[in-house]
Amino acid sequence: MKDILEIKGLSKNFGKVKAVTNLNLNIQQGQIYGILGPNGSGKTTTLGMILDVVAPTAGAYQWFGGMSPISARKQIGAILETPCFYPYLTAVQNLRITAHIKECSFDRIEEVLEQVGLAERKNDKFKTYSLGMKQRLSIAAALIANPPVLILDEPTNGLDPQGIAEIRTLIKEIAAAGKTILLASHLLDEVQKVCTHFCVLRQGVKLHEGSVNDILGETNEVEIAAADNEKLKATILKLDNIEAMSEENGLLILKTANGLTSDAINKYCFEQGLSLKRIVTRTNSLEQEFLKILEEK
Amino acid sequence: MIRALKLEWLKIKNYHTFWILLGLYALALIIICFGGMFLLEYLKNHGADFEGIDPTILPIYDFPDIWQNTTYLGSFLKILIAFIVIISITNDQTYNTLRQNIIDGISKKEYLLGKMLLIAALALFSTVLLFISGLINGSIYSHVQGGHYVLDELEFLFAYWYDIVIFCALAFFLSLIIKKAGFIIIALTLYSLMFEPILTMVFTEAPFLKGQIWASLAPFFPIHAINDLIPVPFPKYAFREIEDNVPLSALAISTVWFLVYIGGIVFILNRRDLKS
Repeated sequence: MKDILEIKGLSKNFGKVKAVTNLNLNIQQGQIYGILGPNGSGKTTTLGMILDVVAPTAGAYQWFGGMSPISARKQIGAILETPCFYPYLTAVQNLRITAHIKECSFDRIEEVLEQVGLAERKNDKFKTYSLGMKQRLSIAAALIANPPVLILDEPTNGLDPQGIAEIRTLIKEIAAAGKTILLASHLLDEVQKVCTHFCVLRQGVKLHEGSVNDILGETNEVEIAAADNEKLKATILKLDNIEAMSEENGLLILKTANGLTSDAINKYCFEQGLSLKRIVTRTNSLEQEFLKILEEK
Repeated sequence: MIRALKLEWLKIKNYHTFWILLGLYALALIIICFGGMFLLEYLKNHGADFEGIDPTILPIYDFPDIWQNTTYLGSFLKILIAFIVIISITNDQTYNTLRQNIIDGISKKEYLLGKMLLIAALALFSTVLLFISGLINGSIYSHVQGGHYVLDELEFLFAYWYDIVIFCALAFFLSLIIKKAGFIIIALTLYSLMFEPILTMVFTEAPFLKGQIWASLAPFFPIHAINDLIPVPFPKYAFREIEDNVPLSALAISTVWFLVYIGGIVFILNRRDLKS
């Protein structure tokens, strides 16, 4: 795996406020890397530093194994916080500026506007756009040079549910094309749905780093329900390897032990003459893990 | 260089405010350049005379004096070009597009270069407009004709261009510090047209400061220095001696100020964190 970005001991103080403290990160080709943290945890400051608009107090970073920062930035499509465009220019005119800076052909403009669904409004001024359209234009700008790396800072901020779904689909499509994506978000669900790897920042300190799949394994909790829950309860009590049982919203929650699986439970109930109308093995969500991580530290 | 200038061109090409302001500026400059004869006519009709001479026969449009006369008057309008520059710089800050430009892949040096080339181009536009107006007025009114007279004292056109460039560099510098266009426009107008001229006049003319060091400080003030690039030409029509060259001392002092502004701009661009 090729190193795309290497961050070593990066710190930033704004006066007495420590926005980022001694951050180390390694991002490799093909990863969709989520930087997760509450508002004000240093996500945007970190992205600002690696994009050269915020001067680090200490530490260093390098792109693509040591490319000059200016050439590197031309190969990165990045949006930081809110979309930034000239309000008096149309989408096409704004993207010409981006394309000119990134030294890519103006022919790409139509293509990326099509991709983000703005083709019909391409000749309207930016100031007439809704927030969702502005957000989509900034993604179009990030895509214009067909960059191998994308940096997206809260890309679904302020969008309606449909817009959020569209942007997430778009991100997955882009990722499927083999691009590396660095995504900052305070939305756990977003990182869980989109990312392969993630780290957790709090007050500028990295608390955790890992792969999303590792953390989202199955748990030892099984939810079951039947037409007659009382009878089910009595039956289940006789089953071995049940550590605990509780009831929630008409569901029985079983804590299993010694590798007792849901299909074994299902089989047992069926043999006892009970048919289950619901049986689900609970999985971890990033939210639970996130709260656990925050509690631990 | 061309890349940096083209970036600025893409920003203003479809920006109506820019073209309207530039058009108004051009109109004002043309009125000033062509208005001389009408002004003299007006003075004559109201009974003014210059030591017994009919004002309309004053050779204000004679080559080569025309260059010093029109550049001197035209330079009062440089504040309008500075407004255009202020708007261009503060736009990039209020819309956060300076940050976006850098994220997209220009260097801060390239940004500075682009804006300075824009300033140089605006000053050149003004200088060419003034030159063409001068050629037209001179060919109509000048008592002497011929290439030798026309091309004499063209140094004032260079001084005029340089004057605008330095003044706009000051506007650029202030735009980075203050960021609010309206505020800078008012502050710069008051300072350059009122506060500094009055202060330096106090230094040179006030009876209680006469004969002291104060008067010799006046030429070092930033606006005074660039205004000195083109000495006041009109006393010559009252048969007084005037400086009819670009004074080297003014050139040196204003160049130092120019370097101070550029240094300040570089310092701020390098130091400042571009957070929204």
